[in-house]
Amino acid sequence: MNSAIELLAPRYDIAWYPWAVQYFFLIALSYATLWLAAPALVFGKPTWLPTARLALLACLSTTLVAPVALLADLHQPLRFWHFYAYSNTHSWMSVGSLILPLYVVGVVVTAWLAWRPALQANRQAPGFAGLIARWLSLGDSPTPRALLVLVGLGTLVLSTGIMLYTGAEVAIVKARPLWHTGWLPPMFVATGFIAAAGLLMVLNRVSGLHNLSVTRQMLKVMLGACLVAGLVAISWFLDGINAHVGSVVAAMESVRGSAEWRSTALWGGLTGVALLGAVLYLLTRPAAHRPALYAWTWVVGLVALHVGWMFRWVVLMDVQTVARHSAGFHHYGIPAGSSGILGIVGTFGLWLTAILLVELFVPWRQARQGGSVAEASPAPPAATHTAVENTANNIEGAPRHG
Amino acid sequence: MDSIRRTLLGQLARLSAGAALIPLASVARAAINRQPPRREGDSSKRYGMLIDLRQCIGCQACTVSCHIENAAPLGSFRTTVSQYEVEHEETGEMATFMLPRLCNHCEDPPCVPVCPVEATFQRQDGIVVVDSDRCVGCAYCVNACPYDARFINERTQTADKCTFCAHRLEAGLLPACVESCVGGARIIGDMRDPSSQISRMIDEHRDALMVLQPEKNTLPQVFYLGMDERFVTRPLAEPVALEVLDPNGKEMGYEFCH
Repeated sequence: MNSAIELLAPRYDIAWYPWAVQYFFLIALSYATLWLAAPALVFGKPTWLPTARLALLACLSTTLVAPVALLADLHQPLRFWHFYAYSNTHSWMSVGSLILPLYVVGVVVTAWLAWRPALQANRQAPGFAGLIARWLSLGDSPTPRALLVLVGLGTLVLSTGIMLYTGAEVAIVKARPLWHTGWLPPMFVATGFIAAAGLLMVLNRVSGLHNLSVTRQMLKVMLGACLVAGLVAISWFLDGINAHVGSVVAAMESVRGSAEWRSTALWGGLTGVALLGAVLYLLTRPAAHRPALYAWTWVVGLVALHVGWMFRWVVLMDVQTVARHSAGFHHYGIPAGSSGILGIVGTFGLWLTAILLVELFVPWRQARQGGSVAEASPAPPAATHTAVENTANNIEGAPRHG
Repeated sequence: MDSIRRTLLGQLARLSAGAALIPLASVARAAINRQPPRREGDSSKRYGMLIDLRQCIGCQACTVSCHIENAAPLGSFRTTVSQYEVEHEETGEMATFMLPRLCNHCEDPPCVPVCPVEATFQRQDGIVVVDSDRCVGCAYCVNACPYDARFINERTQTADKCTFCAHRLEAGLLPACVESCVGGARIIGDMRDPSSQISRMIDEHRDALMVLQPEKNTLPQVFYLGMDERFVTRPLAEPVALEVLDPNGKEMGYEFCH
């Protein structure tokens, strides 16, 4: 075998920017939190109601912000209407452009139906909150539970479309061997659920709810999602280890050829194992130790969010730096501007804004499983600031923020 | 690990979780990601290119003339010539290998079905083009092309690529890269016309012709004569051009680590 040196090759820039990571991250949080809200909201399991309240807040906020990031990743964002003027069925992206708006509407309507009784109860609140409640609740008519179930089920169906299209869109690209595997879509979903469970742990802390049952439920969800992710990763590896071309071969080549890929693989593996270990540890503690330990699960939540985000960063950004027909790896430095750091920070800022707007104007803590005005407990003047139903589970008596 | 055990492990993996997921993936592949019908262009023709590497001296005249003809932004190329320094491991003899690259105008172009707005399409004469008035700049096609033949034009913010200089072909001219090739290494023509130079050369050299990345099943229509099979796929070469940055992180130039 001869040795060769590449003397001359152009520099190939990446084509999808960090906006794509933000979209894939937020939309995964969106569909996963919708499924975490479903047991109580759609299927009427009362033990899941505290989780559903947090999940619905997370779901609505991520669903509103994700399409903004997606739009920003277009180089011609003002031409988004071309998706509908020239829509077709042979592109996964086009299929996605039809599912996504329906899904967004589904989530917004589901959240509105779930929050409406609480909004109606809040109509007499003084000031701006009352005005918003009167305006948003659209009259005193009852909110039939059947309607919430129907819209919720429809949105759950649409969310599977989002899971399928976001995964397939990337997995069909045979030009990038690392993407071209049927194991990528299930891995997106599994890491999405890991991140979503983590997000609810963090929200459980920062919202002041400190609900132990939420933490326990999310630890169980995270355990399941970690095990699925591990199974998918092992199956992907075993599936491809004896192949000559394909995703696993490309991954092995990258890990062999680049110190950065080696540290990425090491970091990913260690974080995954550490997360699984922490979840197992927390779940197996005796009940007496739980309150003290579970006060710290927000740290596990942050690690889980990191896992979900980093997986998407590695898959969508780092894979684009693996050269396809030239030698080695392309250099990519995150630019400071809107296609880089500013875009990442800006998306998260917009998301925080969406959460704060809901927190300010919607009594999401009183969200119920549909039902009429009478079912909702009448809200005191500072309705949005009191965790009425969770005091029993609270560790420190619902300290307030804001 | 010996190959039998690895095969066994692979089959185990397929049998386990694979059974649940792979049928779903194949159903999806069958229904979506098909080639849309070709449109525009002359259906009596099929353009292709043959590159006679024996004639290429790596002068980059094609790169420059294409750049001028098609006004690509600096740093983006519709065609370019990769150059490799190859050392014979036993004799130590050095040689330079030149590999002109451009869009392969594949028979099954993976960049076309992914386009969500059908802005990129294949003409009936086989040329893959982009309607830059319709393109939304989603860059899906840029990622879908295994040959890095596409880029986002920073001026138009839409996808850009080699068109075989369709505007010149229609005016009875040769593409800029063909016109300027010093050694006459690039031959373009209608492969449906048996008397064209490209048809005659394909007939003559059929067994010696190679295409890039045949394992991707894109059926490229740019054929290489005098090709080394080790360069058909991603070459096992060492990239040596390292960026040299000044203290402010600005690029000053390149250096070779050898």
